[in-house]
Amino acid sequence: MRLVKSFGHALRMVLHSKLRSWLTILGIVIGVGAVVAIMSLGTGMEQSINNQFGNLGGDQLTLTAGASRGMSSFGPGRFGGGGGATASSEEVVLDRSDLQVLKGISDIKYIDTRISGRADVSYLGEEGTISINGVDQKVWAHIQTSDVASGRLLDSADSNVVVIGGRLADGYFDDPIGINKMITIEGSAFRVVGVLDDTSTSVYMPISMAYQILEDSVRDQYDSIIVAVEDEEQIDATIEKIEKKLRMSRHVTEKEQDFTVTSNKAIIETRSEMLSSMSMFLTAIAAVSLLVGAVGIANTMFTSVLEKTKQIGIMKAIGARNRDILVMFLMNAMLIGLIGGILGVLLGMLLSGLVPTLLSGTPMGRGGSLVTMDSVVLALSVSMAVGIIAGLVPAIKASKLRPVDALRFE
Amino acid sequence: MIQVNLMIMEKKGKALVSMKDVWKVYQMGEVEVPALRGVSVDIHEGEFVAIIGQSGSGKSTMMNMVGCLDVPSKGTVLLKGKDITKLSESNLSVLRGRSIGFIFQQYNLIPNMSAYENVLLPLELAEVDDASASQRVLDVLDDVGLGDKVENRPAQLSGGQQQRVSIARCLVTDPEIILADEPTGALDSKTGKDVIQTLQRLWKEKGKTVIMVTHDLTLAQYAQRHIELRDGIIVNDYQNKAIKQVKKGEYS
Repeated sequence: MRLVKSFGHALRMVLHSKLRSWLTILGIVIGVGAVVAIMSLGTGMEQSINNQFGNLGGDQLTLTAGASRGMSSFGPGRFGGGGGATASSEEVVLDRSDLQVLKGISDIKYIDTRISGRADVSYLGEEGTISINGVDQKVWAHIQTSDVASGRLLDSADSNVVVIGGRLADGYFDDPIGINKMITIEGSAFRVVGVLDDTSTSVYMPISMAYQILEDSVRDQYDSIIVAVEDEEQIDATIEKIEKKLRMSRHVTEKEQDFTVTSNKAIIETRSEMLSSMSMFLTAIAAVSLLVGAVGIANTMFTSVLEKTKQIGIMKAIGARNRDILVMFLMNAMLIGLIGGILGVLLGMLLSGLVPTLLSGTPMGRGGSLVTMDSVVLALSVSMAVGIIAGLVPAIKASKLRPVDALRFE
Repeated sequence: MIQVNLMIMEKKGKALVSMKDVWKVYQMGEVEVPALRGVSVDIHEGEFVAIIGQSGSGKSTMMNMVGCLDVPSKGTVLLKGKDITKLSESNLSVLRGRSIGFIFQQYNLIPNMSAYENVLLPLELAEVDDASASQRVLDVLDDVGLGDKVENRPAQLSGGQQQRVSIARCLVTDPEIILADEPTGALDSKTGKDVIQTLQRLWKEKGKTVIMVTHDLTLAQYAQRHIELRDGIIVNDYQNKAIKQVKKGEYS
């Protein structure tokens, strides 16, 4: 029998045992739906985090004093400056001599020296403690990657001005802070010249002003130095070069290295790895329900073979070969898998659209979701394969039935 | 008797089905039950044979052998010169599909297919192209008088109509041998006569070899040759001198 005819008969078999077929299909729908939903939520989270971190700029390095700590606690601007403006150790600091070393490295395009800390900010009678970043206003504009929502970035002539994060401008205080409004930081008045298009509550000001504002800062010492490299592809080589030169100037060996160079790329990669292993773990759990669905298909197929024994006998009597019967039952199982797969993908899309709304506030909810073509193709192939594998043994059993026995079956 | 058989062979030409010392033994738990015990018989092209006997005489087993539905425990069955015991199951299926048409007592139609689809099935299995298959099915259904019932499912047809669909299914591949297992067993006498008349017509007009299994001696009177089985052995094999004809008035 031609394959297209076998397919027709298989489809008829699915359609003619409606309830049982649909119940079996439901098992696959749930399995595939769960897998697709989790995969797309994972992808969505991954992408949204990548977007956030992607803003950091893959061509940038962060130099901090002190031996390597957890990477995630590093980062420029809004991630920096957890507690106090000093470097992590009393002895170990970054200062002008380090800056000079960096200036001597040709692969570096921009160097932004930073200090950061928290300070009391008041606006129209409201007060809050805000993360303050002192930046080198001459280069900051080149390496900061957020868009400007309104106003402008800092320039070299600025002194008592600040650029503020989007959330500080709108949402932190009761009254939104607009361009040219004055805010008070540790008793000094600053004019807001720009608002960033981001969700941070940070304040950026010229580093010279930050030295005055942040209590325990020491002039010409930096909490971090952000470096933008000339060639992003060569970033690892540049890191090595920087480390080598700094070790020489700071008179430390590789083992006792008292500073850390972190690439934003590494931070991004670590985050993505963490995320993808988490979503893989969840997908594996969802896959268990797909496995249960497969058992359901096998069960249905065995029942179907038993129920259709006489029909198999008739077909064999009128010329069906073993192969014809085998293909017909395999296609039946594959169809159950495929229909389950298609509906499962739709369910998965629905779920992955709903979950961010239902779980808003949790990391899963924040990420949104993204159903990729890959996950759809994967889900459909897997569900078809599941159908075929689950249907294999019943189909072989059906094809091997002896016509004389099958015909006698009532 | 030998003389008579030789005469038939000369008249009828080569043997279509040839059974030589065929045994069939069924295993019933610990006990072996022989259904056929050394049956040897030749059935020739163009014969209308009735295999008769009480239930348990082995006639169904014999029909299964002739129809390639089963293989013997011992002995050989030659169908058109081919030893069916040496053929693979798939080759047996192909041989069955091409050479043998089955008419069963219980019609054995596939319930969720229309009359048309049931009759089409053997052609689909034989990979006949769609256009000629479709025309052939409609012709055959028309031939058995069901031209207006092609879309009906078996459940929507009477017993007689169902048996006619099964006859159409049997004829659609134009087989050389028609195997009918108690073809009127489930029908009332009028529709039963319809069926037997069809078989006679196929034998006489189309030159088909018809092999009919029945326990009904009246029905056997319509056949040309009687092979009588008892306890798995052929006890009688003779030409029916007075072949009964279905009169025009008896059916329609």
